Amino acid sequence: MKFTQNSYMFDMILFELQDIAGKEHVSTRTSDKEVYSIDYFWISEMWHDRQAGRDIIRPMADFIVHPANAEEVSKVLKVANNYKIPVTTWGGGSGSQGGALPVFGGIILDTKRMDKIYKIDEKSMTVEVGTGIIHQTLEWELEQKGLSTMHDPASSRCATVGGFIAHRGTGVLSTKYGKIEDMIVNMEVVLPTGEIINTLPVPKTACGPDLNQIFIGSEGTLGVVTKVTLTIHRLPESRKFRAFIFKDLSTGLRVGQRLISENLQPSVIRLYSENETKEVIKKVLGIEKTGAYLVYGFDGKQEMVDLQMKYAKAIADEEEGEDLGTDLGAEWWKNRYKFFFPPYMFHLPQCFGTLDTVATFSNIENVYNAMKDVVETKYPMARFIGHFSHWFPWGAMLYARFIIETPPEDPHEALFLHNSIWNDALRAAMKAGGVLNEHHGIGLKLSRLTPELYGDAWKIVKKLKGALDPNSIMNPGKLGFGV
Amino acid sequence: MATLTQNNLDTLKACRYCPMCRQSCPSEFISYRESDAPRGRAILLHSVYQGGKEFDSSTVQAIYNCFLCGACKSWCSGQELGGYDIPELIKFARRDIVSQGLAPQAVKQMKDSLVANDNTANQDKKSSYTASVTEHTAETLYLLGEGVNYTNPEIAEAFIRILENCQIYYTLLKDEPTSGKELDLLGYREEAREKAKSMAGRIKATGCKTIVVSDPLVYDALKNDYPEWGISLKGEVLHVSEYLLKLVCSGKLKLKPTSDKVTLADSEFLGRNNGIYEAPREVIRASAGEHFAEMQWNHEYLQSAGEAAFTFDGILFDRGKELGRKISQKAEDIGAEIIVTLSATAKNNISATTGLKVMDIAEFAAIQMV
Repeated sequence: MKFTQNSYMFDMILFELQDIAGKEHVSTRTSDKEVYSIDYFWISEMWHDRQAGRDIIRPMADFIVHPANAEEVSKVLKVANNYKIPVTTWGGGSGSQGGALPVFGGIILDTKRMDKIYKIDEKSMTVEVGTGIIHQTLEWELEQKGLSTMHDPASSRCATVGGFIAHRGTGVLSTKYGKIEDMIVNMEVVLPTGEIINTLPVPKTACGPDLNQIFIGSEGTLGVVTKVTLTIHRLPESRKFRAFIFKDLSTGLRVGQRLISENLQPSVIRLYSENETKEVIKKVLGIEKTGAYLVYGFDGKQEMVDLQMKYAKAIADEEEGEDLGTDLGAEWWKNRYKFFFPPYMFHLPQCFGTLDTVATFSNIENVYNAMKDVVETKYPMARFIGHFSHWFPWGAMLYARFIIETPPEDPHEALFLHNSIWNDALRAAMKAGGVLNEHHGIGLKLSRLTPELYGDAWKIVKKLKGALDPNSIMNPGKLGFGV
Repeated sequence: MATLTQNNLDTLKACRYCPMCRQSCPSEFISYRESDAPRGRAILLHSVYQGGKEFDSSTVQAIYNCFLCGACKSWCSGQELGGYDIPELIKFARRDIVSQGLAPQAVKQMKDSLVANDNTANQDKKSSYTASVTEHTAETLYLLGEGVNYTNPEIAEAFIRILENCQIYYTLLKDEPTSGKELDLLGYREEAREKAKSMAGRIKATGCKTIVVSDPLVYDALKNDYPEWGISLKGEVLHVSEYLLKLVCSGKLKLKPTSDKVTLADSEFLGRNNGIYEAPREVIRASAGEHFAEMQWNHEYLQSAGEAAFTFDGILFDRGKELGRKISQKAEDIGAEIIVTLSATAKNNISATTGLKVMDIAEFAAIQMV
């Protein structure tokens, strides 16, 4: 439905939303619309950065609503269905894929008021929270009791728990503790048509499909997760790290694969390509070495950690790694977030993107080489770097990035170049056995490529979307769904 | 439109797309709006100073919703990053807003009251604690600040009991004027400087060598703003907590031990702007010893009590209890029995939310005085 802000119909809908959430929790202010038009997606930032003297506009919401609970979310969605108004759910706005941008206007549903910690169950080792809680806030409260979710991404400081669920987030300890989808016990979900449902009390059942897995990663296109029970852990008695330089990336990948396949259960393995070692490790950690920097870490009972560290070092020694020691390993841990903060993070006017993907151990090096080759061959103005952050029993995640120091000044040309690199790099990745993304999600950025990734299976996803969201109001333009 | 300094420009560029300090910002968690977070403010100011937009009324409101508590800067510094200075950027923008005649009505009213009555709330000077004092020359001058002078005279009374017990010859300023700090924080620098000059003249006339201050805003003005504005003071400027510590260390002030569990609510303007963290702790420990306990958030990671939370959404800020409750909750979590505060604002905002005893550092010392 289209309406203008000065019409009485606009005011009528505004009144309905204010009646649901309270007048102070619904905004139509210009300042709010402006701020909610930019998340961590490079194009939304670039469009804002380049606005001076140009006739360019950013898509903006009509209403920003801050509901307090699932009941209010439900009522908002019913209003949205009545008038066929797009609804885009917003958590911390720190997503890099444009997933929270209100590209077709309508309602921004900001979840941050749903930030209660309902229950910390130290017997079951779970915590029940509203999904609008900033993850760091949750961690601080758990830490007071010697507990943690062990979900530890850089965005912990600014992202909501719901945001992690929306795009299948991960953290630096994922190799031992899993991604967010591995930490979910059950969820409360508001369906697009307003019904409030709960998934089964526990996830490991033989009672049919796991409904959790339908909504995890659905990026607000299939409903709004309003409450979640997560697994928690006791803070470890010991946490140790060790860093090495290996002669090349291939050797580093083999070491990572052995740390996994020889069942050492590391909590962290991070391997940097030769050029990222040279550029980023030098800038952040001050280590100037030639080769591939690898750091691993273990946590748990002291004696077990010591034993794990001993066996891990034996593998690294066998592969002729240059031992940088535990201090330089711990230094990486201490500075693990620095990479993502100014002034260390890439920033405008640079054009950059995180081409993260995941593949089996058999394919992952080919994926890296295929992406690197296409970026460096077709786009000589771009640098390509990468590291491997998250390791699974069957493979590893590649956090590849491209950086262009001086992209075109014209925003339309800059967008074209940005998207072309993404298309070429990800098509090369998919051809080599990779996928579109591992933990940042699809959002607006990769929406156009999603049907291509799924192939014939896309029909199933489309049917699911049609069944749950018949008016297609939920986050249109994202995750391959269009409008 | 004013031109940004390089420091402000660096902040604008670093913060406009970086949300990493947001969990520290007290104003965002009053409204839950992105425009009330440091990133939001930087985005809005980028549009004005780099994007060619004019200030609109909602952007002006967002700029005046900042509490200038410095939490974002502290967190950024604490991560060993740039320590980007959002409060300085906000103060710059407020001065620009004022110069363009765009300040919200509530801000203008506060300014008019400060200029005419030396307080923010149009209160009659005759109702202040210092209306009835006799001013004279003395080596020690005690400055109360608006909160103590108008709403919390018990803090002044407690400190004066200590001065008299320690046989310190002191004076107060009759009808104590504003330091100019509030005016400057609201964006009225010229008016602030005029008030500062006037205050400096009054201070000089007392012939004092030591200036003891209760209010963190006044302390910050005398310590930092006055020198920056070329206004010199001959006396040494001390916060009450620093002065009490001197008295304790010299043996002039003896405190009884207490077995109550005592905690301290740090002050944003004393702590973050002036590094005063240990003096009040030492005073408390002189009485409470091992019964002193830290809350979860302390020192530079303190929780804001709203010392400069003047307005919100264009009206006078009246939600200080929401800030106070976050502090009292943490005090209750550690089983504290007494919360010691360092400003009248903190005392009022916290005490309204808890059954625990909440008292200013001067009151604590006066009660424990032998």
